[in-house]
Amino acid sequence: MAEALKTLIDACRAGEADYQSLVDRVPYARFLGIELNAMGEELTFLLPRKETNLGNPTLPALHGGAVAGFMEQAALIFLLLEMGEPRLPKTIDFTIDYLRAGHYRDTYAECRVTRLGRRVANVHISAWQVRREDPIAIARAHFLLAEETA
Amino acid sequence: MTDKNDPGYTRLDACRRFVESVRHSRELGIEVLDAVEERVTARMPWDEKLVGNPETGVLHGGAVFAFLDQVGGLANACRVFPDFEITPTIDLRIDHLHAPAPGKAVLGRAECYRLSPHVAFVRLEAFEEGVEDDPIAMGLATYMRMKIPREQMKGYKRVG
Repeated sequence: MAEALKTLIDACRAGEADYQSLVDRVPYARFLGIELNAMGEELTFLLPRKETNLGNPTLPALHGGAVAGFMEQAALIFLLLEMGEPRLPKTIDFTIDYLRAGHYRDTYAECRVTRLGRRVANVHISAWQVRREDPIAIARAHFLLAEETA
Repeated sequence: MTDKNDPGYTRLDACRRFVESVRHSRELGIEVLDAVEERVTARMPWDEKLVGNPETGVLHGGAVFAFLDQVGGLANACRVFPDFEITPTIDLRIDHLHAPAPGKAVLGRAECYRLSPHVAFVRLEAFEEGVEDDPIAMGLATYMRMKIPREQMKGYKRVG
């Protein structure tokens, strides 16, 4: 993994850099408009109400794929910060259950690492709009943590 | 040809119109290439804004996920054609088999292999343009069928 990213993560942990900079280095995360709210090391992710993330235009509702991408990116950043020695996680698989329509409003996500192994991490992600207890989608994903060989 | 079920437009027309109406899919640059009753094929061009790893230029898994979710919805539309339904996703799993090459467009293919009265079951795959025998992602999804009168559903047969 690039030294620049490790340095950035260290700076975030030390309170010398904004966690948002971890999001903003990823073009796709900027495309979705993802924001990050850190209270200490407790992270809540925000997908702001944004026209380009709309799916069904008549309801209007968020595109399920945009919500999934948001949740996957949240998990990636959450994992990066969870590891003592950060390695770039690669998504092995991502499984989502859509529970409610995503309305055209702000969406939040939080993550929980179910298991952090040496090579594989299991992460649970929950996204909500009104109340944390009423998620619009839940997802689980596996990430490969092997160090790049290239 | 005269067919009382012929709506005067093709599945491909319907799919393209549908994608055009979905803002996020337009943003992803999705283009429908082929649409028949059994299968839909679409293309998502490589775009800098969809990159997940700024060091390698590889597309974000989320972009591939959103793309395949959309192609799956189109596969449902092709099964119920010429009727039209909204099919919100119930669940979707994508396995990322390997990373697509930076700069290469991704093709997505979806097949609604079972249409039950309330649920559509869909198989999905994605591959780099020109490398059809080596998928980058495989997926499985279920979609909820919405707003279709029961009597209109007679006559739809299983595919495969």
